[in-house]
Amino acid sequence: MRSKISLIAAPVGLSPGGYVPKAYADRTAPKTPVAEFDAGKVGDVWRIRLRWACAEPHRELGDDVDRFIDAAAVLAPTVADAPMMTMGAPGKALEGALWRADRTALIGVRAEGLGTVERGDAPEGWSAEAEWKAGRWSLDFELPGWGVLDVHRQFAFAIWQGAEGDRGGLKSVSPGWIEIET
Amino acid sequence: MASQNPTMRQIAMVLDLNKCLGCQTCTIACKKLWNTDTGTGYAYWNNVETLPGKGYPKNWVESGGRTAEGEVKAGRVPNLDDEYGRAWNFNHEAVRKRSGEGKGKPWLRPDGAPRWGANWDEDRGAGDYPQENHYFYLPRLCNHCTHPACLDACPRRAIEKRDEDGIVLVDQDRCHGYRFCVEACPYKKVYFDPQRQISTKCIFCLPRIEEGVAPACARQCPGRLRFVGYLDDEAGPIWKLVNGYKVALPLHPEFELGPNVFYVPPMSPSKLDEKGRPTGEPRIPTEYLVGLFGERVHEVLATLEREREKRRQGEPSELMDLLIAYDWNQNFALGPRKREVL
Repeated sequence: MRSKISLIAAPVGLSPGGYVPKAYADRTAPKTPVAEFDAGKVGDVWRIRLRWACAEPHRELGDDVDRFIDAAAVLAPTVADAPMMTMGAPGKALEGALWRADRTALIGVRAEGLGTVERGDAPEGWSAEAEWKAGRWSLDFELPGWGVLDVHRQFAFAIWQGAEGDRGGLKSVSPGWIEIET
Repeated sequence: MASQNPTMRQIAMVLDLNKCLGCQTCTIACKKLWNTDTGTGYAYWNNVETLPGKGYPKNWVESGGRTAEGEVKAGRVPNLDDEYGRAWNFNHEAVRKRSGEGKGKPWLRPDGAPRWGANWDEDRGAGDYPQENHYFYLPRLCNHCTHPACLDACPRRAIEKRDEDGIVLVDQDRCHGYRFCVEACPYKKVYFDPQRQISTKCIFCLPRIEEGVAPACARQCPGRLRFVGYLDDEAGPIWKLVNGYKVALPLHPEFELGPNVFYVPPMSPSKLDEKGRPTGEPRIPTEYLVGLFGERVHEVLATLEREREKRRQGEPSELMDLLIAYDWNQNFALGPRKREVL
């Protein structure tokens, strides 16, 4: 299922704490307006491909302190009615994988609401191949044995543009769950 | 303003700016104790800056986080090269080698081209010499605010304010390195460690406090200008200076964060007229101090003048005795686990 999708800026008004919603109140447009995706299953392996424009890739921090890293994440609900925009809710977790341009291994993520993301090792065998070329990132996830995607056949994704100061809740996201056609 | 409720107790520090020598012993004591990792080369939980000056990070007062009315304002993460200053090593080895070879005068130089640093504008100050030139030192550390902007900024809830002493800490296991805390703190006293990709900040020497020992910056201060204790301890130096004599003021109270580091503002000698006679006006413009510590500077300076005059007349002054620190043990009152200063 190959498709192009308009992304939205994750609503900063939902961000926990008093600073981000006020300091970034004007951040209503996504820094990555459009992305292409392709999702499918081959054998036991879920393959999700993301492509997006990125004029200035940020692959590493070096020793800079005001630089942010390009990243992307794919998430799926663990229960049918888990809310996507709030990163799940108590008892309604989301889980998935985070790719960062400065690391080779994927990071496993799980959340039950905003500000609750827990990071850990990604499940065994999960990997991603990324390439930046001619102003675009191309990122291929290989996620064998992702059970909740088998069950709910929904996923969402987020993209962080380091050059735009994206991190945490400052991100571009798919506007809702993406249904995977059977 | 952040919605953090006041804690059960609040530890605090008072620094008498009339006594700061600018020797940086506090800076080194802190740095050697807490910030020797590679990612923290540039980070000084405690620094001493010369005022008037741009400070560290450069122009930190203008870097945002809070408005002059105490409202949230988008802040910035300072740049390492231009605002913090990249830590450097000196060319000791090259100098050593060249001196041995007798090839001219060897110069000790940084191994890079630094553009700023923690005490870059040290001892510059302001005013025309000799009529009105002036400067003073401002040691700075995390204010362990009553309403911490950093805590309010963290969407991860990775920053906590301890109920038992009000010390503000970063839970580095929860921190994801977003740096909203760095942006939001208008004092720019949270630092990002790019190696570990987490935020770090002054912990008020928590392990020492828990043993009843003053923080390293205070304990090592040769000028004995730092006082440490609890705000509610009416027998201790903090209460006396902040609430009793009311001579210790928070830095930039207009940010409305409730800083718990307080300063006794500096008095200064008189300006000179063109014939070199004292004019009676202080060299450090009082309005400049008001810009740092608020309108109460006027009354504090008057109290200090009055108490100093009493002492000159041979009358007792508990305030002057306390500030002079005749008995250094009185500088630190850390509760039941207090240790004697030997």
